[in-house]
Order: sequence, then structure tokens, then C-alpha cells
Amino acid sequence: MNLLPFLAVATAGAVLATALRGRRRSGTLVGFAGVMAALVALVVAAPGEPLPLGGGVVSMTAYARVLLGVGLAGGLLVLGVSRLATWEAPAPAALLVAVAGLAVALGVGGAVPGLLAAGATSVLAAAVALAHPATPLRVRALALEARGATVAMTVGVLAVSLAPEAIGGLAVQPQVAGLAAVAAGLALGQRFGAIPFHARVARLSDAAPASALPTLFALIPAGWAVVLLGWAPDTLGPVAPVIGWDGTLLVIVGLATLVLGTLAALIQDDLLRVVAYTVVLDAGVVLLGFSSLDPTGREAIRAWLVPFVASRAALVGWVIAFRAAFGTARLSEVRGWLRRAPALGVGLAAIAVATVGWPGALVWEARLAALQAATDGPALLVATVAALGTAVAVARILGKGFGRPEPRVAAAAGELARVPAGLRAAVRALRSPGGRRVATLRAGSHEARPLLEMNRTPLRALLVVLLAGLALMTAGGAFGIHDAASGPDLPVATPAAPTPDLPSVVAPAESPELRGEPGATLRPAP
Amino acid sequence: MTVLLIAAGALVALGAAIATGARGAPAASLGALACLVFEPFVAEPLPELPVALFRIVAGVLAAFLLLVAGRRAGDESASPLGLPATLAAAAAALVAGLGATAVGLPAFGPSVAVAAGLACLAVALPPVIRARDAFRLGIALVVLVNAGLLLRSGLAGTQSALEVLVGGATLVALAAAVVTLAGMAATATGDLAIPGDAIERRRPPA
Repeated sequence: MNLLPFLAVATAGAVLATALRGRRRSGTLVGFAGVMAALVALVVAAPGEPLPLGGGVVSMTAYARVLLGVGLAGGLLVLGVSRLATWEAPAPAALLVAVAGLAVALGVGGAVPGLLAAGATSVLAAAVALAHPATPLRVRALALEARGATVAMTVGVLAVSLAPEAIGGLAVQPQVAGLAAVAAGLALGQRFGAIPFHARVARLSDAAPASALPTLFALIPAGWAVVLLGWAPDTLGPVAPVIGWDGTLLVIVGLATLVLGTLAALIQDDLLRVVAYTVVLDAGVVLLGFSSLDPTGREAIRAWLVPFVASRAALVGWVIAFRAAFGTARLSEVRGWLRRAPALGVGLAAIAVATVGWPGALVWEARLAALQAATDGPALLVATVAALGTAVAVARILGKGFGRPEPRVAAAAGELARVPAGLRAAVRALRSPGGRRVATLRAGSHEARPLLEMNRTPLRALLVVLLAGLALMTAGGAFGIHDAASGPDLPVATPAAPTPDLPSVVAPAESPELRGEPGATLRPAP
Repeated sequence: MTVLLIAAGALVALGAAIATGARGAPAASLGALACLVFEPFVAEPLPELPVALFRIVAGVLAAFLLLVAGRRAGDESASPLGLPATLAAAAAALVAGLGATAVGLPAFGPSVAVAAGLACLAVALPPVIRARDAFRLGIALVVLVNAGLLLRSGLAGTQSALEVLVGGATLVALAAAVVTLAGMAATATGDLAIPGDAIERRRPPA
């Protein structure tokens, strides 16, 4: 089965969920049903089966299937946590818009259509997530997001146009290659929130519904990274050794993002801001992997992005559950929280482990490979240490959990499951001989809603533990992430009609033309 | 490079200048329409007819959505540069673009596409950076994407049919997001201002 059923299900689900967002019950049902149906359609979609479109094909690659599947599964669990706390109606539609758009972006073959699709997806998903209710903060956030995504898309398209894939493997002048690499790297950094573009992430964490943040923070930027990584190493890689200072600039931005992002995550008081700045610091890993312009770095980043998406979904889900349990997301107000929420503590510790990984785990090895592809010596040491910033930020949150609980924390509901008195009586009646079973069951069924209401906190904790489990599985390399990440991309779509007098050039990577030596000229193809 | 190709490029540049410099929303939307509809003709060789038709329909739809977004736009939110200055900027960028490929800018497509793309870029960037109004920002973003597509055609050669399809869909999606943004701004602030920043009103003539 090709991509079409998945696209149809995700699009229909997004439209219905948007139309019904004002209705709590039906909106909930349609939102969850849409996300689950999209997940099923994704699972049954066969990787590689083409969908003819516009003279080319759109296809689901094995990697896109894994990335979108993890994004959907994590998003579904976050929606569950969110529904048990409050109801953020736009989140399911934003998730469905994102997966539908990214399926096209990752399956269309070629950086330019991929960038266009990723840009449109960014803007549309942000519009869906922020549109309802309209507040001044959200208007400003959407304006910034639309501006940032469109500028990044245009810059990315220009970068790819300077070194088109059609001449991939052939010569690109080093100066042009350097300019293209810097432009594409900055566009990628803007989408991930790398420093100095981090205002985007902070603004979104303030304005967007929390349950839409995994989509806006992690899943869509991951799609951008995959699209640009599919182009840069193949087209610019051959001239990477002669690019010069341009490549170093990206390494500096990546290192600065890692270090400053870690510091920023450590000084935040709001937990969503902490999560936001862990995304910022991880943007440094992506930038460093990109700046290597090396297939090794590309494969490492592609593998690393899947656990990144899962762990950020888990962190956001954890914050939603935490905020619902204690009525605040401010770290300064929740001293001693571990006593009241030990399951959340276990979940957070597991998420920290999944974020950092362990030697031999996919996430650990992939991050290290990406950093090694771009840096060495002291820079590699700095990058390796700073890349552990998320674990330090999480350790700070865990550290706040010890000590004497604040009054707000002590008054919070615990995580032990409770059973309504009516349900206990019904169970006793069922056990007693000669009881009226039908009437008892009917009476017991009325206790379902009180049972749910009394156990929202333990149910949220359970979902967070499931999220942490998903993050741990992806960190360990489940779902065939490694094989999918090192699999081939789709072939690039060729122009419908040949361009006349194409001044194609061929020159080996080490030729004098490439080094820009005076008097050397590029020679036409034979 | 034919006269028709240059004419199409000039119309695109003119449309972009009107879209970003005109005072009223209907005129700006009309400019966007010209900018988007003539874009597929700034290519050598021209795209196939169905592909070009799709792109034209997408351009018309995007321009219509921009018109809808601009229903509540007032004259005070117009470009601080004014239409004559914007037209002059577009003309200068067009001429500069025509000459750029002659002095060594590596390009696999027609120089008119580079020129029209540069003209769109020149008039779109100021409002993208400075606009404090949802409609003006949105129309500038659409022109900016069009600039990217034109420069792509100029630098890398005629786009594939798939690229044209995705590009057209992207323009429509962006215009739809602009409608959403304008609606949100109208609900939240009563006009199209982006909160946090005051609308910079043009100084009245002395």
C-alpha cells in the first residue's frame, strides 16, 4: 500500500479535528480516532511503494515511517496525558497536519520540494495549533513562526539552488559551496531554535498548547533536518575539504548553541522553558552533524533524531502531568515533589537516561559519531560534555524533588489508585451468593466516571511511564532505527524538460578549479 | 531570451512591487495575483501546459485568500516606503538581476528569472523584517516565497513538474495561514496589528 491512504486519513482527521475543536466530547473522540487511524495507516503503508505525482513519485521511505510512527505514538500518549489534565483542542489537528506534511516532505525526493513541503507544514501546523483561542500572545507567536519558517524555507531553497542536486557529484565552486552550506545551516538552525534564533522556541513554549509542543519543537524541525541532510553531504561533501571558514562558522554556532543552551536550560524556572532550552541545546548537535557535510554525520543525525523526537515528547508529557498534579510548573514552588509523585520521578529518570543514552546505545553512539564528524580535540571534548546538558537539567529537576515538601506539594493528590465506594459495594455484591448480577453490574457501570475522575493522577503517571518506555526503546535502537537511518533516500526528481545549453561542469574534488586557483576554469562536460 | 520572457519577468516584478507597496488591500492583492500568475512563464523552456495551469490556479487561489485576509486592512498599514519607491526598488533589482548573470553569477536558468526573483526579494524583505500588520506581513511572505521559486528557476534551471506542484501548494498553504493570522489578529486586537508592536503610521504630508 502506498502513501495515499495515510495522507487521506491524516488530512481528513486534521480537518475534522479542526472543525470540531470547539466541542469537547466529539472533538476528543475525533482527535484520538484520527491520530490512531493515522498510526494504523502508517504501519500498513509499505516502504518504497511509489505514488505517481507530477511526473515524479512520492513514496514512504523506511526512515520516514519510523520517524513519523514514533512522532505519532509519542504525540498520542502526550494527548492522553493532556486530556487527563485539561483539553487542548488544537493539538491533535496540529499533529495530524504535521505528519501529513512531513510524509510528503520526506517522501517527495529532492531538497527543494522537500523544503517547500516542510515550510508549508511548519506554517500550517503552527496556525492550527495557535489559532484557537486567539490571544495577543498567540498572534505574535504565529507571526514570528510564519516569518521564521518562510524565511528559512526561502534561504534553504536558495542554498540548494546554488548547488543543485542535478549536478551532484560534479563540481561546485568552493566559495559557492561554502555560501550554500552556511545558508542551509542557518536555515536549519533557525528551525531548531539554535542560538541566536532561540527566541522562537521560548515564544512557542509560552504561547502554544503544551500538548502541541512535541510537534512544533521536535517533529517538524526533525523533518527539516532530514530534508537538508539528504542534500548537503552528497552535493557539498566532495568539496568540504576546501570550503574554508564557512564550515568553521557553522561549527562555532553549533558549539555555542550547545554550551549556551545548556546554561539557559539550567537557569530557567518554568519547566516548559527548561524543555524548550533542552531543544535549543540539542540544535547544536544537529548543526554540528550538518556542518560535517559527511555521510557518516548524516546517518548519525538521522538515527539520533528518532530518539530525540521520542524523548522530547516524553519530557513535554511529563511537564503536563507534573503541572496537573501540583498546579504549577515553576520549579521554585515544588520542593519535595518526589514524595508525592514517585512514579513521575521514575518516569523523569528514565527520560533522562533515554535522552543521554549509555555506551553502546544508539542514541549515545549516534550523538558521538555526529560530534566526531564535525569536531576533534578540545572542541570535541566541549561538545561531548555540553551535549549532556539535558541530563544535567533533568537532574536539577530531580534534585528539587528531595527535601521537605512545600505546602502546595503536600496538599497534592497522591499517585495511588483509588476506587469509589459504590464500585467497591458493587464488587462485594457480585461476590456474595444469590446477588442480583444484572442490577449490580448496571449500578457498577455508573461508577466508571467517578473511577476515572478519582484516578486521573495515577493514569497520567502511567502514561508518562509509557512515554518514558517509548523514549528508552528508541534510545536503544528499537524499531530498526539504525537500518532505516542508513537506508537510501529517494532519487531526486528530474526536470520535466531538459534545460538547453546546460553549462554543466565536471571537475574532480581536488582539481585546481575547485581550489579556486587563479587562471583555472571549469571545463564543460564531454 | 525572448521579449515575451522579459515581459513576463517585468510583470512579475511590477506585481510584486504593487503587492508590497500599494496602499489598499484590493490593489495589493491584485499585485500579488500578477506576481503569482506570471511566475510560471518566467522559465526557459516553459513548463508543460497542465503544470503551468496548476500553478496559475494556485496563484489565483493564493491571491484570493490574501484578498480575504485583507478585508480589514486599513490604509495606515501600508508600506512606509510608498508605491513609487517600491516600484523604483523593483525596477533597480530587475535591471541588476539582468546584468548579474552577465558578470559571472553561475546560473543554469534564464537571467530574467534571476532578475524577477531579485526584484521580488528586494520589495519583500523590508516588510518581512518591519511589518507590524498581519496582512502586510502575509503578502510579503507570499512574495518572498515567489522570489525563492524564481531564483531557483534562474539558478538551477526549469523546475521539475513535481517542484511546481509542491510550490503551488505551498503558496496556497501559506496564504491560508495568512488568513488565519489576520483573523486571529482581528479577534485579539480589533484590527490587523500584530500585538507587542504599534503600527507605524505614515507621517501625513506636510
